Amino acid sequence: MSADPAYRVAVLLRHNLLLRLRDPGHLISYLVMPMVLMLAFQPVFGAANTGGPAQVVVGMTVMFSVLSLTVVGNSLVTERVWRTWDRLRATPVSVVELLLGKTMPVFALLVLQQALLLVFGTSVVGMTVDGPVVLLGFAVVVWSLTLLAVGSALAMVVRSTAELNAISDVGALLLSALGGALAPVSLLPGWVQAIAPISPGYWAVTMLKDAVAGEAGGVLRASVVLACIAIAAGVFACVRASRGLSLMRG
Amino acid sequence: MLAASELVYSYGPVRALRGFSLHVAAGEIVGLVGHNGAGKSTFAGIVSGLLRPESGEVLIAGREPGQARDVLGVAPQHLALYPTVTVAETLSLFGGLAGLRRRALREAIDEVVADLRLSDFLTRRTGTLSGGQQRRAQAAAAMLHRPSLLLLDEPTAGVDPETREALLAAVRARAAQGAAVVYTTHYLPELTELGATVAVAREGTVIARGSANELLRDLPGEVCVVLDDEEIRVSTHDPATTLASLLSGVDRPVRAVELRQPSLDDLYREVAHVG
Repeated sequence: MSADPAYRVAVLLRHNLLLRLRDPGHLISYLVMPMVLMLAFQPVFGAANTGGPAQVVVGMTVMFSVLSLTVVGNSLVTERVWRTWDRLRATPVSVVELLLGKTMPVFALLVLQQALLLVFGTSVVGMTVDGPVVLLGFAVVVWSLTLLAVGSALAMVVRSTAELNAISDVGALLLSALGGALAPVSLLPGWVQAIAPISPGYWAVTMLKDAVAGEAGGVLRASVVLACIAIAAGVFACVRASRGLSLMRG
Repeated sequence: MLAASELVYSYGPVRALRGFSLHVAAGEIVGLVGHNGAGKSTFAGIVSGLLRPESGEVLIAGREPGQARDVLGVAPQHLALYPTVTVAETLSLFGGLAGLRRRALREAIDEVVADLRLSDFLTRRTGTLSGGQQRRAQAAAAMLHRPSLLLLDEPTAGVDPETREALLAAVRARAAQGAAVVYTTHYLPELTELGATVAVAREGTVIARGSANELLRDLPGEVCVVLDDEEIRVSTHDPATTLASLLSGVDRPVRAVELRQPSLDDLYREVAHVG
């Protein structure tokens, strides 16, 4: 029998993609709802000093991609609920292979979600992309990796799917609002403007807006901040996962 | 095939294993029995490479558990299946992770599906199966790649006779093919059916190990004589002589007599519970 890590990762990728496709509710709602809200709020943000279509498209994209933390976290929490993580660890698969196989399909879905929303934003809502598409793609990849890492870390500390959903829903709205996803930060109260940079959502909105505007420097600066958050969260998640999900509280 | 020596493991202040040793040869079935908390599942966790002992050593085919997962098949005590995927998809997953591909994978699935009578459920999602069917699917995933060491932790808990029969037959077949089997259970007659060597665990250590006959040799049987108004029960190492003695001293009509040899259940009560 083969002991080929690439083959095992491919087996896990196929399996985890299957799991995601068998439970598509969140993904569909997180695609349809932001599209509806973009159309509903587009006239509001069409006015001067409100950021125009880029504000509503990027804002909704960031808010609903943060809500997708539920999808990331659930993909791991269900492994604990079903007791399958330890079962997989008793196979020849390494923890790195397990995490790759587990997270890559979710990462692909996060990228797909944002890409579809941005395409919808340009083709229907009227957002114009002045920068190169590659820059926007880079920003989407960085933000998706950050969400993946934070969602994985979150899954390591929650006790149940209900707790995960509560934290990610409330957290998503908080981080998105603080970060300027619902309204430009410049229109928010002074104290909110002061604390906005503590929110990853702020850096995501900044990065994506700068990518849309073609400002590579701004994209790079925000991506460094998000990369640091992603690395810290990712390392935490990997260390906890290597000990087994059954060691999580509860 | 499996050599576990002097394992020690604690959950915080609770010491689960205190010098647990068990050796299993290729082709041998060892029935590991003991009351809840005796250390059976902790031992299974260490052999699976999920838990690291504080001291002691486990070798599987000469390798540490973490390096020997390719020769290990595990069916944990609790069901560990993906409820939204089918039995066939489950077997493809675990077969693929064991390195089986294409034709070899199909043949392995066909074999284990036949052995465990799963053909009617292949396209059903595991979450829709009965408990017994899920147990069979879980055992199939463990046996699929013909592991050299099969670790079955209470595989027949709560199952119907049909499932038990299929599982026991499959375990015997795997052992006959040369697999070493560790089989934990509370249903001791199963060990007789399997022809298993019995290891009795208590408080984190193996306190007795041998064939059923060896372990039962020193246990008393029981003679029961039923009279019209009385039932006489005597525990004895020599039931025939004891019965003869009892009957010679009885001057009333005897309604029934019963000779009972010691069973594994007696051993279990004697050694594991009472000590």
